[in-house]
Amino acid sequence: MSRIFGIDLGTTHSLIAVIENGAPRVLAEPAGGGALLPSVVAFDGDNQTRVGAAAVELESSGAENAVVIRSVKRYMGLGHTDLAPEDRRRYTFADTTSPVVSFKVGARAYTPPEISARILRELKRRAEAVLGGEQVERVVITVPAYFNDGQRQATRDAGRLAGLDVVRLVNEPTAASLAYGLQKLTEGRIAVYDFGGGTFDISILNIKGGIFEVLATSGDTHLGGDDIDRAIVEWLLEGVAPDVARKRRVWNRARSVAEAAKRALSEAERTELRLELGGSTVVKRLTREALERIAAPFVDRTLECCARALADAGLKDAPLDAVVLVGGSTRMPLVRRETARFFGREPLCSLNPDEVVALGAAVQAGVLMGAQGDLLLLDVVPLSLGIETMGGVMERLIHRNTTIPTSTTEMFTTAVDDQTHVDIHVVQGERELAADCRSLARFKLGPLTPQPAGLPRVEVTFLVDANGILNVTARDQRTGREHSLDVKPSYGLTDDEIERMLEEAIDLGEQDIEQRLLITARNDAVHIMTALRKQLKDYAELSDPAERERMEGAARKLAAAEAGSDRELIARLVEELNEISRPFAERIMDHAIQQAVEKRTLEELS
Amino acid sequence: MMVQCPSCARLQEPRLICPDCKAPLASNLDCFAALGLPRKLQIDVASLETVYHDLGRTLHPDRFASALPAVRDASLRATALLTRSYRTLRDPAVRAAYWLELHGHKLAENNQRVPPALAGLVFEAQEELAEMRYVAGTGGPEAAAAREKVRARQLEVDGLLEQSGAELERVFAAIDGAGDPPPAEVVARLKGTLAGGAYLGTLMRDLRKALDSRTAA
Repeated sequence: MSRIFGIDLGTTHSLIAVIENGAPRVLAEPAGGGALLPSVVAFDGDNQTRVGAAAVELESSGAENAVVIRSVKRYMGLGHTDLAPEDRRRYTFADTTSPVVSFKVGARAYTPPEISARILRELKRRAEAVLGGEQVERVVITVPAYFNDGQRQATRDAGRLAGLDVVRLVNEPTAASLAYGLQKLTEGRIAVYDFGGGTFDISILNIKGGIFEVLATSGDTHLGGDDIDRAIVEWLLEGVAPDVARKRRVWNRARSVAEAAKRALSEAERTELRLELGGSTVVKRLTREALERIAAPFVDRTLECCARALADAGLKDAPLDAVVLVGGSTRMPLVRRETARFFGREPLCSLNPDEVVALGAAVQAGVLMGAQGDLLLLDVVPLSLGIETMGGVMERLIHRNTTIPTSTTEMFTTAVDDQTHVDIHVVQGERELAADCRSLARFKLGPLTPQPAGLPRVEVTFLVDANGILNVTARDQRTGREHSLDVKPSYGLTDDEIERMLEEAIDLGEQDIEQRLLITARNDAVHIMTALRKQLKDYAELSDPAERERMEGAARKLAAAEAGSDRELIARLVEELNEISRPFAERIMDHAIQQAVEKRTLEELS
Repeated sequence: MMVQCPSCARLQEPRLICPDCKAPLASNLDCFAALGLPRKLQIDVASLETVYHDLGRTLHPDRFASALPAVRDASLRATALLTRSYRTLRDPAVRAAYWLELHGHKLAENNQRVPPALAGLVFEAQEELAEMRYVAGTGGPEAAAAREKVRARQLEVDGLLEQSGAELERVFAAIDGAGDPPPAEVVARLKGTLAGGAYLGTLMRDLRKALDSRTAA
C-alpha cells in the first residue's frame, strides 16, 4: 500500500507533510520555494487556473479579467443564504438552483470543494515532484475542530475531486497536539489554542500513555486573522470615498497592505501603511497599541470559546499542564499576552505555528499506517446532533463533546395508517429549535409496507465516524432487514453531483492541457512570423521575389490559422513556414558571419 | 444471535473481538457486556477507564485504515459501541438510569416533579435568585448581600449533591448485594435518589449560571 500523507488545507495557506524515519517533515517546493502554498486559486481571462504563488502573482499584476479566490475554506459547506454582504462584495457568486454556493468564473461556476480540489492537486503535484515520482494517493486532511458535518463532507468531497483517497479527517488542534506530543513536550491536560487565518479552535485534551483524548472543543469557523485584516482595512479606508473604497481591486490591495502591517507589528512598535488609489495615496501610521485596540474584540471572542471549552471539559478551575499556541495569528504579541493571562501560564510555541498542524497530520498518517506504535487519538464531535421532532423542537441524539466514533439508535414509526415513508430531518447545533440549528440532511425512510399507524418499527442508527461525519442507517426491527434511506444533503453535494464534477474535471483536465498546448503553438507562430517580417525588411536584398512570395504566402496561411484554435494546424504551418524560410535564414546567417569576418579583417588592417 | 467475523468468517458469540483472529466484531451488546462487566451497579471508574483504553487501542478504526471494508466497518461499529458504553457507565447517575432501563423500569415520567424533600429548598433558592437579579443593577451593599446569599446557597446545594452521590453508592451496594430481581423497595430508593440528584443538579446549574453571568457583567 502507498504511503499516507498529511495535508493542512488552510484558509491562508496549505502544506503537505509526510513521516520519514519516524519524524514528520513538510515538503517544500523543490525550486527553493517555501513549504507554504498560498491557498489562492486564480483564473485568468482565458480560464486558465493558477494556484499558490502563481495565483498571487496574477492578482498583484492587476490583470483585468482575472478572478482570484482566496480563503475558499470560509465557504466550505455554505449555502446561498449564509452569504454576507461582505462576501458578495468580494466575489461574484453564480445563480444556481443548487443550495451549494458557487463562484462565478466567466461562464462557469465552481463550488468551494472544486476550488479546494485545485489546491489539493497542487500539493499532490509538489509532493510527487519532491519525492521523485512517488504517487500521492492516500491522505489525511485536517479541518477546524469546530467544522460542522457539512463543512467536513465538503472537505472530503474536495479530496475526492482531487483524485485522492481521504483516509481520515483530523481536527487541526488535535493534529497539533500530536506534533507536540511526539516531542514529549506535553503530557497531562493541555489546551491547544489554534488561531489561524480564517478559523479559531480551542481543544482541551488529556494525554496519557499514548492516548490523546479530547475532553472538549469549541471555536468559531468564521473567526481568524482575516477578520483582523478586514478591521484594519476599514480603518485604513476611513475617509476614502465609498465608491472608491468599495472597488474590489482597491479592497484587495488594501487587504494585503493591512496584512503586511499586522505582520510587521508583531516585531515593530509602529509601521506605515501606504495605499495607492490611482492618483492619490493614502498614508497612515499604525502603532502596535492601536492595532491591539482593533484586534481586541476578536481576541476576546476566542477567550469566550476557551471558557466554554474549559467548562465543558469540567476543568474550569483545574490547572492545565500545558497550553499550546497554533496558527499564524498567534504570532501577535496581544494573543500571546492574553492567552498567558487567561490560562495563567506561559504558552508553548516552540514548533513553527504555520507548520505544526501539517506535521501533526503526518503523524496521524503514520498512526494510520501502523507506524506510530501505541499512539491513539480519541476526538469528539464538536456540535450536538439531533433530529427535528413534532413542533420543530430539536431532539438531541448525540451531545457535543461526545468521543467519536459513537452511535445511537432511535425507533421510528408511522403517524397515520398506511404511511409508506417517514421523513427524518437531521440538524446540528446547540439551539432548542431545529430551525435555529444547522440543517444537515433530510432522509426519506421507506417504502414501508402499508400498516396501521404506529405498527411499523424501524430502528435508525446515527453513527458518527472517526472523521466526525454522520452516517445514518435504518433497519426494520421485526425483519432485521436493512431499509433504504434516500439522503438529501441540505448544503452539500450529492454523490451524483460529485461524479459529474469528477467527470468534468477529467474532461476539463484534458481541456486544460489542450488549452496550454494551443497557447504554446500560438506563441510559436507569432514568434516566427514577427522574426520573418523583420528579416524580410532588414535583409530584403538576400531573397528573390519568387522566394519572398512563397514565404509570405505561408505566413499568411499561418496568420489565419493562429486566429483559430486548431492547435495541430498551427503547429504544422509553423513547421512549413520554417522549412520554406530555412534557405533564407541560412543566407542571413552566412551574411552575418561574412560581415563579422570582414569587420575583423578591417580592424586588423587598420 | 451469532455474529460472523468479517475477517476469518467464523461464527462467534456476540462480543467485540473475534477470539480466533482478534478482528473487531460488530455485535449488538448492552453496555455492561461490551466492557466485559457483570450487570452490577458498583463500578470502579479508574479501572473502567483502563479497560476502555485497552479495548480502544485494539478496536479503533485507526488500526484498520488499510483493512478490508467489512473489517473497517466492524471496527467502526465496535468502537462506537465501546465509546457509548464507557460514557454510559462512567457517570453513576447515567449508569443507574441505564440499569433501570435494562430492568424494564421507566425513570423519565416521575423525574420531572420536585421531590417533596427538596421543595422548600428550591423555593427559597428561587426567591434568592430573583432578589439577586432585582438588586443587581444597584451595585451597592444590597447587591453584594444578595449575591452572598446565593453563594451560600450554592455551597449548601454542593454539599447536598455530595450527600446524594454517597447515598447513590449505598443504594448501589444494597442492590448489588440483593438477589435478582432486586426487591421493589430498593429499586424505589434508587429512583428517589436519582430524582433528587437530578433536581439538585439542575438547581446547581441555575445558581452557577446566575453567579457567572453577574461576574461577566
